[in-house]
Amino acid sequence: MKNNYLKRRTFLTTSALAGAGLSIGFNFMPEAAFAAGTVTLEKSGVKLGLWVRISPDGIITLIAPSSEMGQGVNTSLSMILAEELEADWSKIKTETAPANSDFKNPDQPMQLTGGSASIKGFWEPLREVGAAAREMLKTAAAQKWDVPVSECKAQSGQIIHAEKGVLNYGELATVAGKLDVPSDPPLKAEIDFRLIGKPLPSLDFPDKVTGKAQYGIDVRLPGMLFGTVRQSPVFGGEVLSYDEAAAKKITGVKAIVPVPNGIAVVADNTWHAKKGMEALNPQFQGGVTQDLDSTKVSKILRTALDDEGKEEIKAEQVLDLEYEVPYLAHATMEPMNCTANVGKNFCEVWAPTQNQEMSMDVTEDITGLDEDQIQIHTTLLGGGFGRRIEVDYVTQAVTVSKVLQKPVQLIWMREEDMQHDFYRPASMSRFQIGLGTDGLPVQWENQLALPSILKRYIPPMGWIGFDPTSTEGASELPYDIPDFDCDYSMVDIGVPVGFWRSVGSSHNAFYTECALDESVHAANQDPFEYRRKLLEEAPRFRKVLEEVAQKAKWGRKLPEGHGLGIALHKSFGSIVGAVLEISANGSNEIKLHKAWLSIDCGKVINPDTIRAQMQGGFIFGLSAALGEEITLKDGRIEQSNFNDYSVLRMNGAPEISVSIIESGEEIGGVGEPGTPLAAPALANAIFAATGKRYRSLPLSKHGIVLA
Amino acid sequence: MQTLKINGVQHQIDVEDDMPLLWVLRDVVGLTGTKFGCGIGECGACTVHINGAAVRSCSFPAIAAVGAEITTIEGLPQNGEHPVQKAWLAEQVPQCGYCQPGQIMATSALLANNPQPSADEIEANITNLCRCGTYDRVRRGIQHASELIKEKGA
Repeated sequence: MKNNYLKRRTFLTTSALAGAGLSIGFNFMPEAAFAAGTVTLEKSGVKLGLWVRISPDGIITLIAPSSEMGQGVNTSLSMILAEELEADWSKIKTETAPANSDFKNPDQPMQLTGGSASIKGFWEPLREVGAAAREMLKTAAAQKWDVPVSECKAQSGQIIHAEKGVLNYGELATVAGKLDVPSDPPLKAEIDFRLIGKPLPSLDFPDKVTGKAQYGIDVRLPGMLFGTVRQSPVFGGEVLSYDEAAAKKITGVKAIVPVPNGIAVVADNTWHAKKGMEALNPQFQGGVTQDLDSTKVSKILRTALDDEGKEEIKAEQVLDLEYEVPYLAHATMEPMNCTANVGKNFCEVWAPTQNQEMSMDVTEDITGLDEDQIQIHTTLLGGGFGRRIEVDYVTQAVTVSKVLQKPVQLIWMREEDMQHDFYRPASMSRFQIGLGTDGLPVQWENQLALPSILKRYIPPMGWIGFDPTSTEGASELPYDIPDFDCDYSMVDIGVPVGFWRSVGSSHNAFYTECALDESVHAANQDPFEYRRKLLEEAPRFRKVLEEVAQKAKWGRKLPEGHGLGIALHKSFGSIVGAVLEISANGSNEIKLHKAWLSIDCGKVINPDTIRAQMQGGFIFGLSAALGEEITLKDGRIEQSNFNDYSVLRMNGAPEISVSIIESGEEIGGVGEPGTPLAAPALANAIFAATGKRYRSLPLSKHGIVLA
Repeated sequence: MQTLKINGVQHQIDVEDDMPLLWVLRDVVGLTGTKFGCGIGECGACTVHINGAAVRSCSFPAIAAVGAEITTIEGLPQNGEHPVQKAWLAEQVPQCGYCQPGQIMATSALLANNPQPSADEIEANITNLCRCGTYDRVRRGIQHASELIKEKGA
C-alpha cells in the first residue's frame, strides 16, 4: 500500500499559537506545501503536528498519532518519546490526535491505524521530536544559568548543572518554546535506553479498571439523541417499506431518518430507538447477493481453482491438497457506533475509529463543510481488528445529525454488527507438492482463490489490478524449496470483505503450514527437524523455530492422547513460531493445554505489550479456527449474535507463554503476527494427537468440540 | 416514578416495565462504565451486582431492581483500591478494556461469595467474552485477587 504520499520531506517545528510552554511537532509535508511557506503553518496553529506539549506544570502530553484499540500503542509511543526527552515517566499523558495529515504514519497511505505499523512508522520521528525538545530545554537552562549547553544534562524531567543546580522541564518550557528547533538533534545511543525495553505498565489501564475509560458509546453531549440503524440484510439492497406510524407510537421516538443502505430510528435513549426500530419493521428489496448461499460460495471458489488448473509434478512423492476457510466477522466487543453533532457552520464527530482521514473525508462530503470546520475526535476503541478501518458508521451518524441538526449517537445492535461487517474473505487453496528422495519438497505449487479486499477498498482510480493482501504469507515462504510458485484467482462474490486481524496471513498461514506439515508426515519425518532443515539459509527464522521448540521441550515424551503442533510464519515484519499442546480423548473432544510462542520483531519497546499482543492475537486465531464461521442463506448472513457466532471463552483458552528474541533487525509489528499461527498449530496438533487431518475451518464443522 | 439505589445513591426514574437496567444506567442515569455488547446476556460486558450477585444488566428489567442494592463498576473504589482492580493492574490484564468492567464485576461477585475458588470454579463462573483474548491474564488476575483477599483476611 505504498504510494506517492510517501514522497514527503520532514521537519521539526514549534508553534507560537500553542500558548505557554513548549509545543513541538514533526510535520510530514508534501514538497509543494512546504515550498508554499510557513505562513500557512503558523496560521493553522494547533492543527500543526504538535506531537508533544510540555506545560508549565511539567506535564508532558503526547498527541498520539495512532488509535488505541488495546494494542498498547499509547504507552509504547510515549516510551519512545520519553526516552529521548529524558522525561519523568510519571508526568506523561496522551491525547489522541485529531484528523490531520500531519499525524499520518509515514508507512501508511493515509491517516489510519492498521497493518501493525505504528511503532515501525513512528519510531524515528518520535525519537527526533523527543531529542529536539530535550536539546531545547537544555539550551533554555544554559541561557538562564549563563553556562555552556555542554555542561547541562537532561535527566528524569530536569536539566541538571554541576554548580547551578536543577531546573524542572515545566519551569523551562515556555522559554524553550521560543527557541529555534534544532534540525538534527543528537539521538541517544541504544545502550543508554532506560525506558525502551522495559515492561512498563500501560498508561491507560487505571481508567480501564474503574469504568472511567471513554469509548465511542460513552460520549455524552447536552441534548443528545440516541439512534440505531437497520440495513438491507441482502448486501446492497434498498429500503422498500416501513411502518413509520407504528414506530412513532413508541415512547421516546423522535425521528425516522434514511441513511445509505438503510434507515435510522432516533429516540431519547438507545432502548427506545431499538424498540422503535422493531415497530418500524423496515422491509428491503434487491441487492447484489440475492440467491447466494455458502454452498454457492464454495462452488465459485472451486470453479476459479478449476479454471486455474493444477501443475504437473514429477517427483518421488506427490501431494495433492485442497483447503478452505469461511468468511469471518470481527465482532469487536464494542459494536459499531459514532456520535456526530452537525450544525450550520461546524461539525464535531466522536468516533472509535482506526481511520481519521476517511472519517474526515466522508464528513466533508456529507456536510459540505471545509476541513477546518470539522473536528474528528477519536475515542478509545472497544476493539478494532481492522473493522474500524471502515467508516460506514461515521457516514450514518453524520447523515442523521445533519438532518436533525442535533447531536446524535448512533449505535448498532449486535445483530446489525454481525450482519453488516466487512468480512475476512472466504477462500480456497490448492497445493501440488513434490517431495524428493530425502522427503523434502522439491516443487511447491499453490493456487488460491478469493475475493479481493483492496478492490473493494481502494477507489477505482487507485486500484492496481491485483491484491497483494490475497497472497501475503503464501507467496513467500522462508523454506528453501527449489521450485516454488503461488498463483491466485480474484473472484467477485458480492459479500463485503475487509481487513481482519492479519489479513491474508489469517488464511495463508493455515494453508501453507498445514500443507508443509502434510509433507512432513508423507516423508515420515519430525515436524520441527524437517522445518529446520529447510531453514538453513534463513537464520532468523531458524532461531525463532528453535527457540519455541526448546521452550515447548519438543521431542519430550507426551502423556497419552496428547499431541504437539508446530507452526512458523512471518507477517507485518515479525517472525513468530508456535507450539501448541492439546489432548484428545478418543472422540472429537479436545483440550488445549498450553501454547508457546516466540517472536522476533526486531526491536523491543515494551516487552509486556508484545507478550499481551502475542497472547491475544493467538487467542483471536484459535477462536476463529475452533468455532467461528459466517455463512449465507438467501443472500443474507445467517449468524446474528454471540449465541450463533461462537467465540472462545476463558474455559477453552490455553495458558500461553511468550519468548521474545531481540535481533536488532528492522522493526516489525506485534498487533497482528500472533494470529496466523493459531489455526495451523491447532490443526497440526490435532493431527499429531489423533492422526486426523482437517483441511477446512472451523473445526467445529468436523465435530471437534472443547472438552 | 420508581426509585433505584445505585452505588448507594437513590435515583428517581420513570421507565417502561421492559426497559433493561443497562440502558437505564447508561442513557438515563448517565453511568457509562457498564458496557453494551450483545443485548441477549451472552457476553457479560454489562455485568453489574444486584444485592451482591452478578447480573447481566442488558437482559434484566430495571424495575426488577427496585428496592435492591445495585452496584456498577463506578461503585468500586474510583482509586482502583479494590483487590480485583489491584490484581488487574498488577497482572496488566486489559487490552482494549471494553469488556473489563464486566469481567471485574463478575469476578468481584464471585470472590465475595467464594474468596478461594478452584480453577474449575473460576472457569465455570467467569464466562464473559473478551475479543482481545485476555483470558490467560483474566485467570491470573482472579487468582491474584484471591490471594490479596486472603492476605487481607489473614
